[in-house]
Amino acid sequence: MEPNVSIKSGCMIRVAVLPVGEMPAAHLRDYVAMVLQHSRIDLSSVSSFYTEHQKSPFTQQPWEKGSLRFKFMVGGAARSPWEDFQAQRKVLGVIGLCHCPLSHDLGAAYDQFVAICNAYPSAQTKRCFAFHPSDAQVEQDDKKRQHLVLFPPADQQTLEFHMHTLMQDFAASLLMQFESWVLLAEPVGATLTTPLDSQATLNAEEVSKAKKRRLCRVQKTIGDYCLLAGSPVDANAHYTTAIELARLTGDVFWQAGAIEGSICALVVDRTGQKDQALEEEVKFQYFEVIQLYRRATALIFELEAALKLARFLCRKELAREVSDLLTGAVESSKNLTDASDRLVLFVEVARIFEAVGYQRKAAFFSRQVAQLYQQQGSRWAAMSSLQVLLMTAKSYHIQSRSSFLKGCCLVFLGNHTFCQVNDLYSLLKWKSSQQPLTDENRQIFSIDVGCEGQWSTLQMDVLADTLAAAVRAGDPLAAWKAAAQLLRRHYPLITPSSQVSLAYALSSVAARLPTGSRCSEPALPFIRLHLLPPLPLQMEVVKRTLGKKDWWAGPSSSGPFIYTPFTSKGGDSRDNEKVEVTWVVGEPVQVIVEVANPCAFEISVDSISLSVDSGDFEAFPLSIVLPPNTAQVVSLSGVALSAGSLVVRGCFVNLDGIVSEHLFEDIEELIVDSMKGLSLGDPFRSAGGTKIRPSPCPEIVVMPPLPLLVAQVVGGEGAVVLYEGEIREIQISLSNAGVVPVVEANVSLTGKQREHVISVGHNLLQAALPLEPGAAVLIPVKLKAGPPNSELENGLRSVHGSRVKVPKEGNCPMLIIHYAGPSQQDRTVDRTESVQLPPGRRVALPLQLHVLRGLCLAQARLLSMEVPAQISRSLPDPNSCKPSSLESAVSLVRMDPYRGSWSLRLLELELWNATDVLFEITVGIKEKKVNDGNETELEAECLYPTTRIDREYSARVLIPLEKFKLPVLDKALLGKTSPGRESRNKLEERISSTEKQTKKDFNAIIEELSSRICVKWHSGRNSSGELPINDAIREALQASAVDILIPDPLTFGFRLAKLTSVHPADYEDACDHHVQVDGENEPATLKQTNMKNSVLAREVTPIEMLVRNNTREAVTMTLSVTCRDVTGASCLGSVGEKATVLWAGALNGIDVEVSANGEFVHTFALCFLVPGEYTLLGAAIIHHATEALRPQAKILQTDNSLEPLCFSGPPFGVHVAGTS
Amino acid sequence: MANTACFVIVGRNNSPIYESEVGNAPKKDEAMHQHQFILHAALDIVEDLAWTTNTMYLKSVDRFNDLVVSVYITAGRTRLMLLHDSRSDDGIKNFFQDVHELYMKVLLNPLYVPGSRITSPYFDTRVRALARKYF
Repeated sequence: MEPNVSIKSGCMIRVAVLPVGEMPAAHLRDYVAMVLQHSRIDLSSVSSFYTEHQKSPFTQQPWEKGSLRFKFMVGGAARSPWEDFQAQRKVLGVIGLCHCPLSHDLGAAYDQFVAICNAYPSAQTKRCFAFHPSDAQVEQDDKKRQHLVLFPPADQQTLEFHMHTLMQDFAASLLMQFESWVLLAEPVGATLTTPLDSQATLNAEEVSKAKKRRLCRVQKTIGDYCLLAGSPVDANAHYTTAIELARLTGDVFWQAGAIEGSICALVVDRTGQKDQALEEEVKFQYFEVIQLYRRATALIFELEAALKLARFLCRKELAREVSDLLTGAVESSKNLTDASDRLVLFVEVARIFEAVGYQRKAAFFSRQVAQLYQQQGSRWAAMSSLQVLLMTAKSYHIQSRSSFLKGCCLVFLGNHTFCQVNDLYSLLKWKSSQQPLTDENRQIFSIDVGCEGQWSTLQMDVLADTLAAAVRAGDPLAAWKAAAQLLRRHYPLITPSSQVSLAYALSSVAARLPTGSRCSEPALPFIRLHLLPPLPLQMEVVKRTLGKKDWWAGPSSSGPFIYTPFTSKGGDSRDNEKVEVTWVVGEPVQVIVEVANPCAFEISVDSISLSVDSGDFEAFPLSIVLPPNTAQVVSLSGVALSAGSLVVRGCFVNLDGIVSEHLFEDIEELIVDSMKGLSLGDPFRSAGGTKIRPSPCPEIVVMPPLPLLVAQVVGGEGAVVLYEGEIREIQISLSNAGVVPVVEANVSLTGKQREHVISVGHNLLQAALPLEPGAAVLIPVKLKAGPPNSELENGLRSVHGSRVKVPKEGNCPMLIIHYAGPSQQDRTVDRTESVQLPPGRRVALPLQLHVLRGLCLAQARLLSMEVPAQISRSLPDPNSCKPSSLESAVSLVRMDPYRGSWSLRLLELELWNATDVLFEITVGIKEKKVNDGNETELEAECLYPTTRIDREYSARVLIPLEKFKLPVLDKALLGKTSPGRESRNKLEERISSTEKQTKKDFNAIIEELSSRICVKWHSGRNSSGELPINDAIREALQASAVDILIPDPLTFGFRLAKLTSVHPADYEDACDHHVQVDGENEPATLKQTNMKNSVLAREVTPIEMLVRNNTREAVTMTLSVTCRDVTGASCLGSVGEKATVLWAGALNGIDVEVSANGEFVHTFALCFLVPGEYTLLGAAIIHHATEALRPQAKILQTDNSLEPLCFSGPPFGVHVAGTS
Repeated sequence: MANTACFVIVGRNNSPIYESEVGNAPKKDEAMHQHQFILHAALDIVEDLAWTTNTMYLKSVDRFNDLVVSVYITAGRTRLMLLHDSRSDDGIKNFFQDVHELYMKVLLNPLYVPGSRITSPYFDTRVRALARKYF
């Protein structure tokens, strides 16, 4: 059987085209292409080369319209046994092609040509075309080689022109040969036999029958030549005769052949006018032909006739008829013995089905062809099988959209099988050449793919066949593709062991390909876009609004309302913002992708990098290893190299040295399919399902280079741990990591707990501008820890002592620096146009402050302490404690003007150290200092030694209040306050505005005092701070100050009377000293004081007792004086030997009345017999106490109003010196 | 007599939504694939035929190597395709009608997405039972 038969093949002159001498494949292809252009030569153009030697037998030759048709058999053809039956099966001409530059010896080449021609005895016209001969070769040429034609070296166009002429000449000579053959054909000598004629037994009857048949056969052959010579009318005449003769002789086979020929003549004659009647005629005749062939048991011719008819009828409307014909042909092909015949039949059937639009039928038969090829077992057959299978791929929807659009690849086929393979290949390629890929087709196809489902059983089968064929054909790339597709699309249906063997096939095939080969078909793993992260907070790009100082704030809302629903209409506008991703040239960016391996073997990806649709982009590859059935989220990075816009299309994956591109949109389709239930499995199932459908990759805007500030807290790991009240200065380093200088920068503070930050070194930053690339600047930031973070506090409570909890990001204050590069465009762009400023940027530096609870104040109290005063010549002067006095400022102890004793006031703070570090406490005072009219607060460090508080201990810190110069309360003021205070209900009406004023003053004093006390702490080397206990102090003061600071109603005082026996000179000295060293604690001075102020033993010493009434009413009282020795026993009570003190004057029962705010002096004398320390105490008993005194007394005594009130003064010390 | 029969339901998007080898012939993997290839190839003819008739049962539409393809096409363009060696038309027609009924029941399942694979084991056993009954 012959391929590519059609009704018109009866009029085609078969010409063998052969290479002669050495011929590279590329040149052969060019030359053959040149020859093949002339498959049809018009008789009108032939006529100029035609010379009529005799009367032409072709009387009806249509010189104007007719043409000669050629069928070029590239590579030659075997001699057919049916040559006599149909003249078109003979090779009637031979064309040799010689490439002169490689065949130096033209003679040898020509000899080779002649030898080739001998293999074609039927060939009557021969030409040997020699291309590009050298001058030497031209000279070498002699006239002996009659068939050699030398083409002058010229360009392609000229060559083609020459070829055109020579082919016309060739056609003319063929025509003349046909004429001579027809003229010479005599029925007498001709032996026209076919393999069907049995030659063995020729009895007499058969011989005579054969003679009769000979006439018919000659007529038919003449008809064939007429047809070949392009004269269908002549041919038809001869055929009609032949048919008649054949019918008479019962030569069924030749009758069928003659009918076929007549149909061919009919069709050729009516070329271009295909009508219903012709079609019916052809159909009718051919059915007869098929019947006749069947009777003659010529199966091959029967099939060929069916194919010819099918091809003739091949139209969409007649599809059913064609399909029936072909099905019948295939059905009867079961009896075909030759495998190659069946192959040809299937190829033809596939082609016709394809032409009629039955893609799936065509694919089915193509697959049958492939299987037949595979059965042949040779490498070339495997190659053909592979080609055929690749062509069926589309019908089975195996090709992915991308690879389909890239077109099919052409594989060069070897030289010696060129003819056969090329023939089949060109047959099968016919369809694709017929329909060049237009955009429209692409669109249709993509729609097709979209709705077309997958018949995975078939796809897998075809792919497996392709893989096997590719391996046998030695095409590693095709094998890799097939294996990749199998794994990628059908992994859920492949058993794990098969998966592993496929993986092995992949890697072994990859080893045969050069590393870095590119393959259009992606294999594993599956990659999808997980996230396209916007620029990190540290690198955010902010649009600059022109002409605004705070350009980052965005356009301010126009209109009278603070809030308009249009500007902050969240919803879609925010979504749009989210999608917008900006990259900056030269700065690394990252894209997060999800990589999944759903297969049962480990995939080690040599490199995976981003692939970008447009724009300059440098991707940084990454290598990963994916264990079986896992998915990973991988961050891929790269750098945009030029400004513009780009789209991240997918990833380049290098698997075993094969690079393929994985597109994100492909995988999305797959996922969508799997969600619809069309696809078999979702590769990302192990990654947690497909609920989140990733949005398609948006277009990314790439900005021109911008400055890039890197902000960093110097030291530490970015987190600052502070104790409550701690003050610390941290340094923030800002360095420009970009390539553009920073021209403007502005620091602002946002976020929660902003109050922790006291100051930011704006000035330093402004001074450092412009910050050149690579330069850095340090900005100080002063922190003061406020109250501790409540979360942390809770954490600490539960897990005591360990700081495990880290506060959330949002809880920290954020230092936000807006900065921008120079706006160069200002100058270049015309002012009138809308000036586009290069955007600025923002860097946010969260200050991770962890405020821990440091010391806690457990309690604050105001304490008072009394120190007995030494008796002296004068009463202690209240005025001496006034702030003006230097002496009292230094002294810790001061005289209580209303009690007459030295008293010490202390503020006691009980502090609890809950932390695990050691604290040291110092107490300081803030002093106001007027400096050049500006009131600035300065801190005066106290000289008191520091107090140390160990961890988990508490300590009390005593703060002497003397230091704070508690102003002396006015006597009168207190006199006023006390009654007002003691009987509020009764005297309420008496409260005047002055009293309110007093209260206000009092509160102001406390306020000032509490604000001036500053308790500082140190811990470790570099943490220090201040305790925020002002409120606590204030409360403590307010609670207890009243009790302490309110004066007693009566004041007692003792002094030595002026009349004394002490030497005056000594006394003066003592007084002088007293002034200076009064109240000193140091032993040396104390001794001195004792010396000067002392009373001599055995001398009568006059002493005065002063009683002062601090109330505003006259008081009647009974006074008494007691003297005690160091043991505390009363000295005055005992008489006789035991008496140690003698006295003169009244000591008991002195009834006096002291007027309001008045004083009373009672004089008495004492004589101390024994030297030592004594104590004098004054006391008063008020029998008829008024209401004014009652509350005061209550403090000291019972609240029984009938009982006399008893007041006692502070003790006075008396030092009695011995007489020496 | 060993009867080969391959039954496939092809959804409207030309992908199989159910496939089973209902014959009692010894199963060969390769042959099974070949059966499906034949059925797939017959789809072209079915598509043409569907427009020429208004009956659902298209009888035998195609054949290859003694195997006949019979097709029943539902109103929703779902095709029930049976590959068999020559057999009585009546049995096949009844088989198709019963399977169609079963298929309707599957479609009525609110959890079934039309066009996706039928994975119900109940459907499978019922189809096989019908095949035993009619062939």
